[in-house]
Amino acid sequence: MSKEKNTSLKLNLSDILVTIVIALVFGLVFRLLGPVYDLVKPFGLHLDALLYGIWFIAAPFAALLIRKPGVAFLAETAAALAEMLFAGSGGVINLYYGLLQGAFSEAVFAAWRYKKFSIGVASLSAFAALIASIILDAGYAYLPLLAGWNLVLYLVFRVIGSVLFSGLFPYVLVKGLEKTGVTQSLRPVTKEDYDVLK
Amino acid sequence: MTNTNTLFFKINPSLKFILISSLFLVYLFVQNLNTMIWASMFFLILYYFVSGLSGKWSFWFVLITLIVSIFSASAMILFGKGSHIIYHQSLILITQESLARGILLGLRTFTFSLIGMIFATTTLPVPFFYSLMQQLRVPVRYAYGCLAAFRMIPIMAEEFMHICQAMRVRGMTRQKGIRVFWERMTRYTITMLAQSIRRAQRTAIAMEAKRFSMTEKRTYFYEIGWSRNDIFFVVILLLTVTSGFLFSAYFPLTPFTNVLDH
Repeated sequence: MSKEKNTSLKLNLSDILVTIVIALVFGLVFRLLGPVYDLVKPFGLHLDALLYGIWFIAAPFAALLIRKPGVAFLAETAAALAEMLFAGSGGVINLYYGLLQGAFSEAVFAAWRYKKFSIGVASLSAFAALIASIILDAGYAYLPLLAGWNLVLYLVFRVIGSVLFSGLFPYVLVKGLEKTGVTQSLRPVTKEDYDVLK
Repeated sequence: MTNTNTLFFKINPSLKFILISSLFLVYLFVQNLNTMIWASMFFLILYYFVSGLSGKWSFWFVLITLIVSIFSASAMILFGKGSHIIYHQSLILITQESLARGILLGLRTFTFSLIGMIFATTTLPVPFFYSLMQQLRVPVRYAYGCLAAFRMIPIMAEEFMHICQAMRVRGMTRQKGIRVFWERMTRYTITMLAQSIRRAQRTAIAMEAKRFSMTEKRTYFYEIGWSRNDIFFVVILLLTVTSGFLFSAYFPLTPFTNVLDH
């Protein structure tokens, strides 16, 4: 029965539980990083925007790990909900950002039909989450009303931060996890796996 | 411990969740500085009466949140666009418009933090997820997944301590340098993540072995229902929000009724 389940791309209980546990770990990390993020804010120079990328990590990490549809969205949303329940700074705002960032990240993996999980796709999904956060920020933080150079600085820092922390970093982490062997039982069976049996 | 016998603990968690998160949409479109000032004051009063935190913690939380919220708008205050200049030196340009916008943004973040804190300190995870299943029809597998995950936090904390102790025994804490730091970090994260994943999988298998969520109909150990408190909650929230708008209309404290205009 388990073999039959693993071949399908539908989420089973094991996938859901693993995703939520990972999301909870990231939710805790977000909660603990919140004060650090707030500390670098006061100068108005957007040093916080560099760190901002960490908040996109749950979606690409979960997707790289489990490689099934819906996982990225679930992970980012659950992480945001966890952050809200842990009373993270910003409170209810987190939930909306998490929902939209998760949806955008998911869309990137969906665009490759959940077949490509390279470092490039992971970075693109982090970038998509960044777009989502900027859409919300444009309304929430009146981005267009910042002085030109300041806005550019902000965008550049966010792009660097998001690709670094949520594109490259989760990829390295998942590579490390692959060595431990836990990923084998998580992912759907691919064609290469069948080829090994020949 | 906090007293869980207060009104805000007895509200239906789904109702509380939906109303509190819908406040985001209400204040997202507020561009009147007066409204935001009054709203943050009224939510501060509400927070004072209903929050689950004890007095001392509560005071520091509010103070720190207020400072951080104003700081978070520092980019808007220092480098925003505007024509009525207050202070100008090289890149720093403080204008009346940008100052008003910055304060509005800061107060908005402050209000949302207060609202989030009211929710987080008066909502227990178990009734919350039970209510999500019963009132909002969240699939049982997701809600119980969250509950099971919450139960794993203490185990993770213990595991973290074990890794710390193991590193100390082997003298890893005495080594210095960036490489060692990187190695230590990866050891922490990879070990914790791998163990969490394995544990989650084992739990899932154990749950399915007991036929969890394999049948359509199910019963719940905790039945979360509705009570008179829910009406009180809706009235209190409506009063807080509307009085914010009314006071800003009748007692405007600043001339900035639309921070995007000017």
